[in-house]
Amino acid sequence: MEAPRIDSGRIAEVSHGLDRSEVERREKVFSVSDLSVAYHGNVALDGVALDVHKNTVTAFIGPSGCGKSTFIRCFNRMNDLIPGAKVAGTVLYHGQDLYARDVDAVEIRRRIGMVFQKPNPFPKSIYDNIAFGPRVLGMRGSMDDRVEQALRQAALWDEVKDRLKDGALGLSGGQQQRLCIARALAVNPDVILMDEPASALDPISTTRIEDLMHELKRDYTIVIVTHNMQQAARVADMTAFFSVLVDDEGGRRHGILVEYDSTTKIFTTPSDKRTEDYVTGRFG
Amino acid sequence: MRVEFQGELDALEAGFQETGEIVLRSIRGVVDALRTQDVELCDEVIAFDDEIDDRYHALEKQIELVLARQTPVAGDLRLVLALLHSGLHVERMGDQCVTIAKLTKLSSHLDTKQTVIESLVDMGDRCEEMVKVSLDAFANRDVERARGLHGLDELVDRANRQVFGEVLGYVNDPEALEWGMRQITAARCFERIGDNAVDIGEQTAFLVTGEFAEFTDASH
Repeated sequence: MEAPRIDSGRIAEVSHGLDRSEVERREKVFSVSDLSVAYHGNVALDGVALDVHKNTVTAFIGPSGCGKSTFIRCFNRMNDLIPGAKVAGTVLYHGQDLYARDVDAVEIRRRIGMVFQKPNPFPKSIYDNIAFGPRVLGMRGSMDDRVEQALRQAALWDEVKDRLKDGALGLSGGQQQRLCIARALAVNPDVILMDEPASALDPISTTRIEDLMHELKRDYTIVIVTHNMQQAARVADMTAFFSVLVDDEGGRRHGILVEYDSTTKIFTTPSDKRTEDYVTGRFG
Repeated sequence: MRVEFQGELDALEAGFQETGEIVLRSIRGVVDALRTQDVELCDEVIAFDDEIDDRYHALEKQIELVLARQTPVAGDLRLVLALLHSGLHVERMGDQCVTIAKLTKLSSHLDTKQTVIESLVDMGDRCEEMVKVSLDAFANRDVERARGLHGLDELVDRANRQVFGEVLGYVNDPEALEWGMRQITAARCFERIGDNAVDIGEQTAFLVTGEFAEFTDASH
């Protein structure tokens, strides 16, 4: 057969996030069902169910008080550290109940690393910040190699390789945040949770963190909470929109999951009017 | 919430509808010029196109600013994209009117055939109706009305074929043939205006449903 004279293959494809079916074909890292969280008996988040798949970026968006930060903290049992917090429902991590009695929360937090809104390096050298976790865990192998690899993965190596013994607090805010990402990567995690990782950073540093997320999802599964909707649109394959439900009688407020779908769907044709109102800036 | 932004979206849509309204005046003008073979009216239609172009370019510029400054998403993004596409379709209709006006002038020294003129006027009337329907369906987000444009377009296409068939009969009369060839081109311009109205209908469906689909596949 003759080759077609008009080659449609030459039309360039625009790079975008994975579509929903591609995401759902991937292994489930987390499978959450009927999750609720209460602080001292006050419900903060109720009835959440969603799956997070391997080697994807999943974003949680929603107005203040919608429970998105509470929710991300359920993925590595950070709520255990908050007095009065009670988690009900199921969070399966690779099929195992994360909240089962015999689960070691410290091991969970090694496998599921976390980066916070404000960079929080230890008041130690750049090198020691990275080496701390592997040393505490007694990880084997060359520490120098481990530090270099983590800094390279976090796109910080070239900027700090000649001053590894300098104090980490001398780095810029954006560099400190990448150091925190490197520190999380140094203990060979499976998942990186990021709670507003770029909200304290300037636009250039924000872009570097976002580029990094695209790189890191090849090897890791990333979950991010962000206030910046365009950031979710840029980096995430899947986006979950949380909102606040106000109780008719008592006026109590708690967070709910409104819609969870591919980021493309959420930002082009969301199914729920509340999502549309939020992403278009008409609510929240 | 985002009062300023909503105001900008409303202004874009009003700008599009106004451009549509003045294109309707252009279509009306060129149909009248055809019917009466009025060369001066043809010149007015040709000059009037600058007004359409200016409005389209203003709309395009405003859309560029809204995209750059407001980063619309979801339904807002669809509205802005649909306005950009539809604005261009309307601007093209104005260009078609200019071509018909020029053709009418070019053939004004030749004898006219009333049957062909009647077919062209019929096409023009139908196009005017289609453009009204397309603008109205867009404004009211009325997908069913927009889909109805396809049926109206079939009638325009049929009239176009009639003009073609009629002109074929002039093959042994060089002067009538020259006139007829120009009328075939004018008919083709009306036929394109009808297509552009259908295109606006498709943009209305995209705006409402989020899915783009051609009402008919013109490639077969």
